[in-house]
Amino acid sequence: MTDRRTRLVAHARAVLRIARWEVSRSAGTLDRRTAVIGLVAVLVAGGIAAGAAVGGVALDRDLYRVGIAGDSPYYDAVDQSSALDARPVSDPNVELVVSETHISVADTQTGRAAYSAFRDAVRSYNERQMAREENQSAAFPVVVDLQYRERDALVPTGSRVDGGASGGGGDAGTAGGGGTDTGTAGGGGTDAGTGGGGGTDDGADGTAGGGPSASDAAAADDGGVDAPSLGGIAGLFGGDTSGSPASISPPFPFASLVLAFAFLVPMNFVIQAYGSSVLNERINRRGELLLVAPISPGDIVAGKTLPYLLGTVAITVAIAAAVGGGVVSVAAVVPVGLLFLASTFVGAMFARSFKELTFVTVTVSVFLTTYTFVPAIFTNVTPIALISPLTLVVRDLAGESIPLGEFLFSVGPILLAAVVLFLLGVGVYREEDMFTQRSVPLKFLDALDSRISRARSVATLSALSIPFVFIAELLAIAVLFVLPVDLTVPMILVAVAVVEELAKSLHVLAAFEKARFSRTLRSSLVLGGLSGLGFFVGEKFTAIAQLAGLQSLTLGQTAFAPSGVGIADGTGVGVLAVLGLFLAPLALHAVTASVTAFGASRGRSAYGVALVGAIAIHLAYNLRVVSALG
Amino acid sequence: MGNPRFAIARRELGSLRKEKTIVLALAIQLFVAAFSSFLVVGLVSLYDPGAASYQVDVAVTGDEEAVEDLLRAVGTEDGLSGRPYASSSDALTAFQGREVDAVLEASTGEDGRIRVAAVAPDTGVETTAVVVRLRAALRELERTERAERSASLATDPLSLPPATESSPYFGFTYTVLVPLLLFLPVFISGSLVVDSLAEEVARGTLELLRVAPVSFAAVVDGKLLAAGGLAPVQAIAWMLLLQLNGTAIESVPWLFGMVAGLSAVVVTLGAAVAITSPDRRVAQLLYSIGVLLVFAGTSLLPLNPANTAARLALGTAGVGAKAAVAGLVFVGVVALVGLRILVDRVDPNELG
Repeated sequence: MTDRRTRLVAHARAVLRIARWEVSRSAGTLDRRTAVIGLVAVLVAGGIAAGAAVGGVALDRDLYRVGIAGDSPYYDAVDQSSALDARPVSDPNVELVVSETHISVADTQTGRAAYSAFRDAVRSYNERQMAREENQSAAFPVVVDLQYRERDALVPTGSRVDGGASGGGGDAGTAGGGGTDTGTAGGGGTDAGTGGGGGTDDGADGTAGGGPSASDAAAADDGGVDAPSLGGIAGLFGGDTSGSPASISPPFPFASLVLAFAFLVPMNFVIQAYGSSVLNERINRRGELLLVAPISPGDIVAGKTLPYLLGTVAITVAIAAAVGGGVVSVAAVVPVGLLFLASTFVGAMFARSFKELTFVTVTVSVFLTTYTFVPAIFTNVTPIALISPLTLVVRDLAGESIPLGEFLFSVGPILLAAVVLFLLGVGVYREEDMFTQRSVPLKFLDALDSRISRARSVATLSALSIPFVFIAELLAIAVLFVLPVDLTVPMILVAVAVVEELAKSLHVLAAFEKARFSRTLRSSLVLGGLSGLGFFVGEKFTAIAQLAGLQSLTLGQTAFAPSGVGIADGTGVGVLAVLGLFLAPLALHAVTASVTAFGASRGRSAYGVALVGAIAIHLAYNLRVVSALG
Repeated sequence: MGNPRFAIARRELGSLRKEKTIVLALAIQLFVAAFSSFLVVGLVSLYDPGAASYQVDVAVTGDEEAVEDLLRAVGTEDGLSGRPYASSSDALTAFQGREVDAVLEASTGEDGRIRVAAVAPDTGVETTAVVVRLRAALRELERTERAERSASLATDPLSLPPATESSPYFGFTYTVLVPLLLFLPVFISGSLVVDSLAEEVARGTLELLRVAPVSFAAVVDGKLLAAGGLAPVQAIAWMLLLQLNGTAIESVPWLFGMVAGLSAVVVTLGAAVAITSPDRRVAQLLYSIGVLLVFAGTSLLPLNPANTAARLALGTAGVGAKAAVAGLVFVGVVALVGLRILVDRVDPNELG
């Protein structure tokens, strides 16, 4: 007992020592001059960004040229619109001519776009004029109170099977119950009719037109993040509103967009530095001294990572505090930061040069941003939205409680994936891999192989691949969710088959390439069976998906039903059939994994052929199961 | 053998090809563009009532007179059809029973205004589609009501020209997608230069220059040439691809000049940062901030790069935009000259 304790203390000491060394060394590279330059640059950039956010960056400024006489009643509308450029009527180079009697439009796409921009300009000009009227009841003769109400479950008309989701509607209702508050806050914030004039109207149009750019501007403006009170945030989600018709803004996932940028952009800076630091160890055999020191590679990696992890946590806490999030927000975002670090670590262990590292980090950040952002769009469709931890943040901000199951569903795969990636990276944190130049795919195979010591390890690795399979499939669901169900179901099935077959076979290929097992039919059958078994056991953990109710979505069923998770609901099926269905996935995984293992034992091109065959078998099986259950 | 600058540029490109990073780079750009298009096409089709063939049934109830007006307004909107209901509880029952997608209950207030209580379903994506259509109908109602009350208004609202078909993605393609595809390669090129120079310093390979027949300036030039030349080529390739896809791109030579000028500025920035602070962590950080500075700074100008690119590609740019491109190219040349002066004053052996 004490023995283990002293060992633990020794490990902790080593980790801390390396962490301190990492910090002091990093500080050493930053001389005073560069620090000052950097600080000045940050301040100037921040000032400019704030200025741009206040003044508004008009991406569409003077996009279309309009020929219009100075005394035309429409002149002011055109002149005040940012997208339209007022020109004299005589100018031949225009897309649109507005004369006393009619409007002539160039018969091109540009002309039609100019016309519709002109129509928008007239409409928002009218709004502004009306806002200045004395007689407001005549200027705004219609007042709308918009409520969002959840409907009871009836039939799986669209993509939704059950309506038991606890979030959305009910709470929007209570937010409205604090209702008068929301209403008055809306008076300043969202109501174009009374206070804001046409300004908000333009804003709404802007979001419709260029989502990403608008979000950029919003992300740059830190005032925009913490300025809206809770009522304001509810408004952003399309909470209940009241005002003139023009002030109705359809629900747009604006808040999750802003949150995604606020939380994830700083992480990019952290992983840049972290990746450099890891790759630096590998340049000119600098890390050799550490490797020969009496410290385990795990401790070295932990020590090197610790400062960056703490940095991520500190930044996350600061941002969470700024947007008003609590412990849950931090707990939801930090795992994402950990996954950022883990994949950067693996990338830096694989990359051959700084250039390659740059692309690896950019790929990581693009992928993870997509993963956290896309599902968060569907904030109102609970199971999909929960794929992204940002949804937890959004709910935390709205003051809702989050059940533990949902929290685990959202954060679990990310956390597990981060841990597995670190394990994989630590496996190649050794001399023969660190200081050699091999291409990234080969290094990846090396890393997989380093975790295989005997046949049993194959099963373990298959099971460990589950978080990645889960993440990949969830991302596929989230991306395909908007398409019609008829189209997405086959696509999802293909994606699932490809992802799962790769996960079951890549490490087997690595082991064969490294000549760890004899290239016989028998050993490929054994390895395939083990890989299938490991995968099957791991897959049972997708039962978590049920906790969060992803099964209630047709797509969720498609992706996960073939694994035999949701079959307990099949009431009409006999016990034997249930048992058969329960074990069928095991047979499937064992068969397909054996096919790929056999291919892998014959070399890489044979593996490719076998992989296609295995995917086809998997697909055929999935199609049968889905049609049988559906 | 020729000019050593070209030899170095060739070597740089060769290493990019060998590491297949250029493939990854192109894939990332494609992904970012596809992702933003996916988002916008997905969201815009929800926002634009004409874009999706989605029929919304609305239950209309309330005051008799107001109901009539409401039904008329609802009828003018594509994809929206109204049904009168006797009472609001009937309407809400129909709403819960999914016979209708939304409920509008109208009443006349004391001040003569029409008060509309709207109920929309809370189901995510569908909600947006419903609310957008409701808004259009209610604005139509507001317009007619306003016209009836025009006597008590100081100014008459301008009459709204009739709506026509126009692609809702049109503006997005030119104001977001085109600048994105033009400027992403520039970012990446600058980052490449930082990495490439920082790596030479970190590996100590610049020391070999003492015995090699190339100057440090030639090495820097070669790297600038490789990275800086790659950006305009990629950008123009994207533009041609857009054109193949049916998006007309005008004034391609001017766009080329613009990307070339911008790429000269950004690449020299990268090189200058890498030379003055050779540790990659610091250099990349400073470079990112510097690029942010360049883009944020220029976005405040009346002729900011994104807007100028959009207008050039649309073919609606005037003399001002072309002058801006010329100015940008000039700034790029000045930056290159400035970098040369800096390079001449630096001893490569003292770096790192």
